[in-house]
Amino acid sequence: MKNKVLIPILLFTIISCSESFNIDLSFGDSESDSINPGIDNAFASTYLPMDSEPILFKSANIYDGLGGEFRNYDLLLSEGKIMEIGESISAPGVLVIDATDKWITPGIIDIHSHMGVYSAPGVSTSSDGNEATAPVTAEVWAEHSLWTQDPQFALALKGGVTSFHVLPGSANLFGGRGATFKNISQNTIQAMKFPGAPHSLKMACGENPKRVYGNRRQSPSTRMGNMAGYRSAWIDAVEYTDGMNKTNEDRRPTRDLAMDTLMGVLNGEILIQNHCYRAEEMAMMIEMSREFNYKITTFHHAVEAYKIADLLADEGICAAMWADWWGFKHEAYDMVQANVAIIDQARNGTGCAIVHSDDAVGIQHLNQEAAKAMAAGNRAGYEISKAHAMRWITSNPAKAAGILDQTGSIEVGKDADIVLWTGNPFSVYSRAETVLIDGAVAFDMNNPKIQPITDFDLGIIQPQANRVQ
Amino acid sequence: MKKIFTTLVLVLLTAPILSGTVLLKGGLVHSGNGGTATVQDILISENIIVDVGSNLIIDGNTRVIEVNGLPVTPGLISPMSNLGIVEINALDVTRDDESDLLSAGFSIFNAFNPHSTGIPWNRSNGVTSAISTPSASSFPIFGLGSHFVLDGSLEIKGAKDIAMFGRLGSSYGSRAETLSLLESLLEIGELAKSVPVEEILEMTIADKLELQAQDIIALGKVVNDDMPFVIETNRAVDILQALALKEKYDLNLVLASVEEAPMVLTKLQESNTPVIIDPMDNIPNSFDELGSSLDLGRILDQAGIPIMFSTQRSHNYHLMRQGSGNAVAHGMSYETAIKGMTQTVAQTFNLDNRGSIESGKLADVIVWDGDPLEPASFPKIVMIEGQLQDLSSRSSKLTERYTNKEDKPSSYKH
Repeated sequence: MKNKVLIPILLFTIISCSESFNIDLSFGDSESDSINPGIDNAFASTYLPMDSEPILFKSANIYDGLGGEFRNYDLLLSEGKIMEIGESISAPGVLVIDATDKWITPGIIDIHSHMGVYSAPGVSTSSDGNEATAPVTAEVWAEHSLWTQDPQFALALKGGVTSFHVLPGSANLFGGRGATFKNISQNTIQAMKFPGAPHSLKMACGENPKRVYGNRRQSPSTRMGNMAGYRSAWIDAVEYTDGMNKTNEDRRPTRDLAMDTLMGVLNGEILIQNHCYRAEEMAMMIEMSREFNYKITTFHHAVEAYKIADLLADEGICAAMWADWWGFKHEAYDMVQANVAIIDQARNGTGCAIVHSDDAVGIQHLNQEAAKAMAAGNRAGYEISKAHAMRWITSNPAKAAGILDQTGSIEVGKDADIVLWTGNPFSVYSRAETVLIDGAVAFDMNNPKIQPITDFDLGIIQPQANRVQ
Repeated sequence: MKKIFTTLVLVLLTAPILSGTVLLKGGLVHSGNGGTATVQDILISENIIVDVGSNLIIDGNTRVIEVNGLPVTPGLISPMSNLGIVEINALDVTRDDESDLLSAGFSIFNAFNPHSTGIPWNRSNGVTSAISTPSASSFPIFGLGSHFVLDGSLEIKGAKDIAMFGRLGSSYGSRAETLSLLESLLEIGELAKSVPVEEILEMTIADKLELQAQDIIALGKVVNDDMPFVIETNRAVDILQALALKEKYDLNLVLASVEEAPMVLTKLQESNTPVIIDPMDNIPNSFDELGSSLDLGRILDQAGIPIMFSTQRSHNYHLMRQGSGNAVAHGMSYETAIKGMTQTVAQTFNLDNRGSIESGKLADVIVWDGDPLEPASFPKIVMIEGQLQDLSSRSSKLTERYTNKEDKPSSYKH
């Protein structure tokens, strides 16, 4: 009599997690001796920063995103870059913003977003994140699904998010390539792409692939089926890569989009972002990365990461986690709120912990999510400062996305991706007052003219007004 | 810091089960009634709050717990949860929130599992009781919710079938059809006032709608009666339709979600309808909720509309604290936020003996380690009906196990 209404949010959550340690990243503009330069430059970023003028923040409190805290400091931005951090900077003629009693952090970065590929409204025509037609779809690219007018971008910006990594969903063993974006809505996808950021490859463990394909009576229908599926694909990829390395061009295999992606991983150019909840599955994925000689950058949605915290620290693999999500599926049953802190503190504090969202609401409040994770860690006996916890939503996700050289911390020479908060960002009452991307004011809570309104928002409820004011 | 906390809890837990009287001394008491917090003592005898005031005089047999200015609130009450009836959402065999047979009369009361892991988790996070509800179906009415005390006891404490739950908005067919179906159901409820259920069961309409006796009896309770009827709806015109139904059938209407409520504020105000909102949900998730925004809580509060809080996150009903904190960050008054998690729920759902720290009420009391609206705060003391609760949960057990550095397999760390 009654049909169940699908509760859309959690059923197809996906994870991707990777870590860029020890990886020699080759960016899109590289003209190296790549075997197939055509691949590397396809769909390259055309992003250009908005116009900006030099800005001097006076008397700010600053978390630098690397663990540092500076009280009553000045910060000078110019030509889209961070120019100077100091106790008393004078720069005649530049715009001065009094930041007394306010806080400045690096722009927030989300390593796990589906904005643009699962746009709002969440209707079937915008469901572009899971190419759930075969368990191995390494050939698809999330950026090819992106809807530039997704109203969720602007909402995330109001939450201080300046860069985000968009991943395909987790229905498949290999879901496809992910890409990183600057949070400036533009009319083309390339114009939003983070310049030089590497691609990722989304992999998924556990329940999702085995459910999606098991329900169709095809492989994988079990976790062992998942493993066989990954390994078969890697065997093909190794052979393809060997073939592509042959000096005689005539003996190289025909180009294959899926194999190009896997080869990119084997060559260290594409970062593995791996949705994986359970501890033993993460350990198994690490074994497999040894078998085929590639690097896992991050485990995403790693609800059980705390069970293998030392292993992850030893391997230099990040874990991207929620502060407290659990119970929506079996592999998310063993949640502990101290998960993030336990990862962070593993092996004398060498672990790489990330707080991620996978959610259009959560991405707007990553500062609050980090606050919960920090408080839970301190209740569990750690002594984690706010300055340190800020790493979880800035420099660590930047590292995992392969963009730490450009953004993710307040250091001279980096992109001026900056948030000015009305108060301490670990408080629920604090809001992002001004958000700058490459030195340009992208959001100003006090100036409606500097608040993005997408085409979708325009006149959609009443012709004379915008969707939200 | 942790050590002090542990010590405090240990002292509390190793003490004999409280009997007689307890004084929570010198807490910053948010009574839940919308007033400003003041430093007060709370005197509890057995399961009841018997006095609230400054420097209360006590006898020698009263146990004194120094609260030292920490915030104190009533135990939080979730107005819409799946606690005790859903263990794991994606595992149907662990769910008792749906019925294929019943609709309006579907009661989840007898399915409630007091040992569900969500209960200690939410309790240790400050939720002392909850209304659990059937889950949404394509039928406009899902069934009846019940109120449960979250003390984990097999002797279920609560109130059975206290409200009906349904929705109005986009569905498989036209919303006009849904609305007309809803109206037909309410007509049957009206009929049930004077016509015996057996006779209604014989009617073609009852047959067509596949109604069972329980459905008809329940429908009779929401029409011209006190049983609250919670309708989840978002689009401005749908809210107006729901208000029209309230008028026509004399419903004790509660509206949930109401993301476009600011567009029909005056009507909502005039109808004196309480609302349940998720203040953090500003996503236009469907074409029904294009007006979704973070300003919802402030606008409703300034219009004087009674507000309660839900959260999107499964299993974490305590996150209504974070939600209401965000509402305050966007202009809702602080005391409306506290009241919305406590007394407003009690008043809306006729839970007369709970929801505020006032003499005569059941002693559901939380002492917090910081501002209860800050997500990073945590309860130090959870008291349900005068009993101090253990703050452990499966989650805290796992944390202990995996922060224990002993060199042996984790399965031997216990």
